[in-house]
Amino acid sequence: MKLKYFIPLIIFFPVVIIQLTLVPFISIQEVVPDLLLIAVVYFSIAYGQIFGTITGASYGLLFDLISGNLVGSSMLSKTIAGFVAGYFSSETKRDQYLYTYSFTIVVFLSGLIDAVIFSFFSVIDFNTNFLMALFNHALLPSIYTSIISILVVIVPYKRTFLSEER
Amino acid sequence: MFRLLSYVWNRFKEYFILIVIVLISLTLLTQNNNPQIQKVRAFAFGSFAAVTSVFYDMLNITQLKNENNVLRKVNAELMLKLSQLREQGIINRELKGMLALKDTTSLPLTAATVVSKSLSLTQNTITIDAGKTKGIKPGMPVISYKGLVGIIQTCSDNFSIARTLKNVDLKITVKNEKNRLNGIMKWNGENLVIIDVPRTYDFDIGDRIVTSEESSIFPVPIPVGVVSKIEEERTGLMNIIQVEPFEEVLTVEHVFVIMLVESDEKNNLELNFYRKR
Repeated sequence: MKLKYFIPLIIFFPVVIIQLTLVPFISIQEVVPDLLLIAVVYFSIAYGQIFGTITGASYGLLFDLISGNLVGSSMLSKTIAGFVAGYFSSETKRDQYLYTYSFTIVVFLSGLIDAVIFSFFSVIDFNTNFLMALFNHALLPSIYTSIISILVVIVPYKRTFLSEER
Repeated sequence: MFRLLSYVWNRFKEYFILIVIVLISLTLLTQNNNPQIQKVRAFAFGSFAAVTSVFYDMLNITQLKNENNVLRKVNAELMLKLSQLREQGIINRELKGMLALKDTTSLPLTAATVVSKSLSLTQNTITIDAGKTKGIKPGMPVISYKGLVGIIQTCSDNFSIARTLKNVDLKITVKNEKNRLNGIMKWNGENLVIIDVPRTYDFDIGDRIVTSEESSIFPVPIPVGVVSKIEEERTGLMNIIQVEPFEEVLTVEHVFVIMLVESDEKNNLELNFYRKR
């Protein structure tokens, strides 16, 4: 069996530990980057849309179970985020979106979709300005996540890691 | 026929998989209170919290020094207050004895440490290192020395998840300490607010907000925060009162769980009263 099917599972545990322990220290007004989303987008571009969709669903479900979120909320949002990120995966486009700063734009787009869907199950308040809510709950976390995703682009070993896998 | 199905599958398999997963997610969303789901969740976060607690302890060593200084200062202040309270306690006991009132202020507390935090703008939760083995049950209030932190949501044997004040699913009855006016407080994703407060209610900026005895969850008034802003609702009939919490969820490390759960007796009594009307 190909090793690529186990990599997301192996990556999940260190990433979620960092998400729940270290990331709160770099929060800005409770806005935190979503490292799991960055991983989902990475796998989605690297291995294709179906792989990304299933990885998103698995990551979301596991995160819901261990974080106390509504079970199914992150699963749904990350599934769709992984699916959307998969549109940027193909033999010709893969390198372009994985190894350049375009990756951060894909993360931003997927993050926006992820946050909007996740927030939909949390904040429905008719007294809140819709545009302001969209800005606070979706735009800010997406921007922060995409900024952090720059680390994935500049990590020097990624080419070797991925090329060995393929 | 088979070729047609094969063609459709190959052409649209991404969409089929997406639809199936979305349907599973939506089904799970409707099953959150299912005991089986609760069991799986308790097992999952209980196992994982054991790992995160180790990492969290390592990270917190650097913060302990600063926290110790703060705690020493708080300790000194509390010692002075305790001295005053002892004096007042003696007088109080005498007065209560005269009124034949039973002293009900001794609450059982269990100390716990935050081992992980799930931060989001809407569903803030914390995981603490105290669970069923210490007698923790869902519904118990979680406090710090500053005030209310949240309410226990789920428990495993050694860990529990608590919904914090900054969680849209947590709604609590609070009152203005000054004039005893009650209201429902919730997190709207941006601020802690008391909703649907009639404009005739006398709320001022700086008023202390505490939990209300009308709530069956909180046995005694627990400090929550102070009024920071008063806004008029869109209808013009009600006010929205913004509350600045005493305890900042982002920085809370050590908490206490009040070992009292929601009063079934009180709930049943009130329900019976309403049914008979």
